[in-house]
Amino acid sequence: MQILKNSNFRALSKIAGMKPEEVIELVKKSGLSGRGGANFPTGLKLEFTRSSQGEKYVIANADEGEPGTFKDKLILEKNPNNVIEGMIIAGYAIGSSKGYLYLRGEYSYLKNKLQKVINNAKKIADKLKIYFDIEIISGAGAYICGDETAIIESVEGKRGNPRLKPPFPANQGLFNKPTLINNVETLANLPLIILDKSWNNSFRLFSLSGNITKPGVYELESGASLKKLINLGKPKNKIKAVYFGCSGGCLPYEDIALNNEAVKEKGAMLGSCAIIAVDEKHNIVDVATNIAKFFEYESCGKCTPCREGTMRVLELLEKISLKKAANEDLELLEELCRVINETSLCGLGQSSTAHITTALKYFRKEFTDKLK
Amino acid sequence: MKITINNKEIECQPNKTILEVAKENDIEIPTLCYQEGFEARAVCRICLVEVDNKLLPSCSTKAKEGMVISTESKKVLEARKINTELLMSKHIQSCFVESKEHELCKIAKNVGIRQAKFDSNKKTYIVDKGIAIVTDNNQCILCGRCVQACQMQNVNAIDFAYRSYHTKVTPAYENKLDDSVCVNCGQCLLACPVNAIYEKDDTKEVLKALKSKKHVIVQTAPAVRASLGEEFDLPAGTLVTGKMVSSLRKIGFKKIFDTQFGADLTIMEEAAELIKRLKENKNLPMITSCCPAWIKYIEHFYPEFLNHVSTCKSPHDMFGAIAKSYYKDKYKINKKDLVVVSVMPCTAKKFEIQRKEMKKEVDYVLTTRELARLIKIKKIDFNNLADEDFDAALGLSSGAGTIFGASGGVMEAALRTAYETATGKKLEMLEFNQIRGMSDFKEGSIIINGKTVNFAVVNGLHNAKEVLEQIKNKECKYDFIEVMACPGGCIAGGGQPIPTNKEIVEKRMQALYINDKNNTIRRSHENPAIIQLYEEFLGRPLSKKAEKLLHTNYIKRGI
Repeated sequence: MQILKNSNFRALSKIAGMKPEEVIELVKKSGLSGRGGANFPTGLKLEFTRSSQGEKYVIANADEGEPGTFKDKLILEKNPNNVIEGMIIAGYAIGSSKGYLYLRGEYSYLKNKLQKVINNAKKIADKLKIYFDIEIISGAGAYICGDETAIIESVEGKRGNPRLKPPFPANQGLFNKPTLINNVETLANLPLIILDKSWNNSFRLFSLSGNITKPGVYELESGASLKKLINLGKPKNKIKAVYFGCSGGCLPYEDIALNNEAVKEKGAMLGSCAIIAVDEKHNIVDVATNIAKFFEYESCGKCTPCREGTMRVLELLEKISLKKAANEDLELLEELCRVINETSLCGLGQSSTAHITTALKYFRKEFTDKLK
Repeated sequence: MKITINNKEIECQPNKTILEVAKENDIEIPTLCYQEGFEARAVCRICLVEVDNKLLPSCSTKAKEGMVISTESKKVLEARKINTELLMSKHIQSCFVESKEHELCKIAKNVGIRQAKFDSNKKTYIVDKGIAIVTDNNQCILCGRCVQACQMQNVNAIDFAYRSYHTKVTPAYENKLDDSVCVNCGQCLLACPVNAIYEKDDTKEVLKALKSKKHVIVQTAPAVRASLGEEFDLPAGTLVTGKMVSSLRKIGFKKIFDTQFGADLTIMEEAAELIKRLKENKNLPMITSCCPAWIKYIEHFYPEFLNHVSTCKSPHDMFGAIAKSYYKDKYKINKKDLVVVSVMPCTAKKFEIQRKEMKKEVDYVLTTRELARLIKIKKIDFNNLADEDFDAALGLSSGAGTIFGASGGVMEAALRTAYETATGKKLEMLEFNQIRGMSDFKEGSIIINGKTVNFAVVNGLHNAKEVLEQIKNKECKYDFIEVMACPGGCIAGGGQPIPTNKEIVEKRMQALYINDKNNTIRRSHENPAIIQLYEEFLGRPLSKKAEKLLHTNYIKRGI
C-alpha cells in the first residue's frame, strides 16, 4: 500500500530548505483532498489557514468514528511516523507551532506508541529548526467528536458539541485562533507528496466489512468497480446492498465505479470509503432500525431536529418492524427524514437520515411489505 | 445593500442577521431559542428561512447583498411545523399553564398544530423543588436560554448534561439547585419560554395562614406596584399602588404595610454605616446588601471580600424585625400569632428569609406573579378596584424608599440622607441622574464635608464580578458601591411578570421615578414614622438595639 510507505521523517529535512508557500504549492499541485470524507482540497485549506493572522493550531482528526471505517486505525498502527510528520509539515506550511492529535477513545491503546513517535519526531524537527509541539488528546467515545468543530470544543475542555459555521476553523477555530483540521489519512500522505514524485493521488483506502468473509482495508484506485472490491471480500451469500458507512446511505449491489461522482449520482455518498456489504439474508428495515439506533444514541442533543428527530425516526422504524405501522407512518417518516436532513445544525444530523431516504428509494417494498 | 424578503426588495445595513433585518421591516419570523442581547445558539430551528432552496436559521445567518429570502415558503412552513411538533412532544405531557400562554404554545398555535403528532416524551424526570426555584425537566425543551442567562450572571449554576434525547439542563453532578452555587436570582425563569422553571409557590401556605386565627400582615416592595398591573393586562409602567393595597385588604390581610418603610429604615442605618466607615477609613469600598442574590453570589465566589458588604439587613427583613418587636409590643400581639408576608419582585427573597441569621422575621415571601395568582384565586376584579392607602405607621414611606426598586435607587436614597445628615445642609438637587437608567455600570462622586466620595452602581452579576476584580487587584477607586443582581434592578427581578424585557423594565423604572417626584417626602430621614420609630424604640442609627435587630452577618460558602 502506498500509504504504508514509511517516510521516516525524511520529508522534514526536505521542507526545512523550502518556503512554506512552496510546500503549499506542492500539496496543491498533488491534488490531495480531505480523506475524512468531505474531500475538500487540502492545499487550499492550508492556504486559507496560512492567510489568517496570529497564533495558529493544527489538529489531526484521529477520531475515526464512522461505523465501518477503520483505515485510520491501520495507518496509526502500521505507519504512525507519517501521521506525525504530516502534522509537522502542515504546521510548517501554515505557520503554526502547536498541534493536537485528537485520538478516538477506543484507540487509546495506541497512545503510548504515538507518544514515542512524537518524542522522536520532536528531536529530529528541532535539529532542523522546525519547532512544533504535539499533544495527544483522548476522545471519550462520542461519534460527534469526529466533527471538526466538536473536536475543537472537546480540545478546549468543553462538552463535545458542534459550533455554528461560519466562522470556519480556518479563521476562528481552537481557542478562537485559526486552526487547520485534517484527517489522519490526509496528513499521512503529506510526507509522501513531499518526497515521492510518483505519489499517486488516485489510491483510496476502502474499509470493507459486513456479510463478507475477508473484511479489511483494501487499497484500490478511485473509480475501481464495486464488484471487484466485494469479490476481494469473498462474500458467502448473494450481496443485496452496500452501505457507505452509516451516514452515506445505501445502494443496491450493482457494478458501479467507486468514486464520489458515480456514488453521488445514485443518491448516496462515498464519504470516507467505508463499504458495508449486506446480503440477501437481511431485511433492509432491520438494517435501517439498527443504524437509526446508532444515530439516536450519538446525537449530541444540541439542535431540535437531530435530538428529537433521530429518536422519533427510530420509534417509527420500530413500529414498522413490528408491523404496527400504517402508510401514514411511512409518510411521516419520510417527512421527518427530510426535515432532519435540511434543518439539523451539523453534519451528524444532516446525514443521519441518508440511509433511510436511499433505502426507501431502492428497497421501498421491504418497508411497505411490513405495513399494516 | 439590497436583499429581497418575500418578494419585497429591502435596503439594509451590512453585517446584520436576516432576523434583525426582518424585524426592522416588520416581517415576523417566530423565534424560540433566540434571546436579544445574547449570542444566537440557533438550535431550536424554528426561525428558519429559505435561501437558494436551503433552510437556514435566520437568527445566526448574516444577510448578504442580493440574497433572496423567503420566510413563509412551503418548505419553511413544513419544516417549522415538524420542529415545533418535535418540541411539543418533548414538552406537552405536563404543560403547566400560567395566566399567559407561553412562547412554545403560541408558536404551536401559529404553525397550525391542533393535535400532537408524536407521543409525549418517553423520559420522565423528578421535579427539583428548591427553596426559591422549581425546575421541571419534563417541560424543558432544551433551548438553552436559562443556561445563557445563568452564564450572563456569571453564576454558571446550570448547564447541559448527557446527550441525545437524554440531554438535560442540570446543576453539576445532577445536584439539586439548592445545593449548587445558584443565587436564586431567577433570571433563568424569566428567560424560559415554556415555564419549565418557576418560583416555589407559597400562595397555598399564605391562604392557610389567612384562614387561621393568626394576625397576618403584609408588606409590598416598591417594584411590585410598578409591574403588578401587567398581570391584569394593564400597560407596562402603570402604577397600581392603590389597587394593590385594596386587593390585599380584600384578600384578608390584617394590615397592609409598605416595604418602602423598611427601605427608609435601611437608608438610615446604611448612611450612618457609610459615614462611620468613611471616618474610620475602614472596609472601603462599602457595598450594599439589599439584594439577597448578590449576597449569595459574593458568599460563593468572593467570600474574602465579605467585610466590604454593609451589615444592614435588606429592607423587608428590617421591616420583619421591627414588626416582630416594635409593632408586636405596641399592639400587644402574641409572637406566635403574628405572621409577616412580603410581596417581592424577587425569587431570592424566598431563600433569604430561610437564612439562619434572619430568625424567621418574615414568614412567607410571595412574588409579584404569586400575588396576581392570589388575586385571581379570590376572583377579585383588580382593574375596577378603588384606590386605597397603606395602613398607618409602618405603611408610611418617602420617595427615597420608592426608588429602591430601580438600579441606582438605593445609592441615590443613601446619598440624599448621608449628605444631609453628615453636613446638616440640604441638597439643592435631589436627583442623581448619572446613576439612573438601564446602563449596567454607572458612577459619580459627591463632596461630603470636604471629602470626595466616589460611588458606583452596577446591575447584573457579571458587572459585580468586574468590581470585585477591581477590589482584588487594588484598582478600585470607589468608596460606595450599589450592586443589584438583576439587570435594571429589582423591577427586573425573577419574581416579576413574564415577559420582562428591557423595554418593559424601562417603563417600570420610569413609573418609580415619577412616584418619587410626586411624593412630598423624598428623604428617608424626613419620614415621620421613621423619626418616631427612632424616638420611641431604636434610639439612633447603629445603636445597640438597631445593631441587634437590623444588622446581620454573612457566611463564607465558597464554590
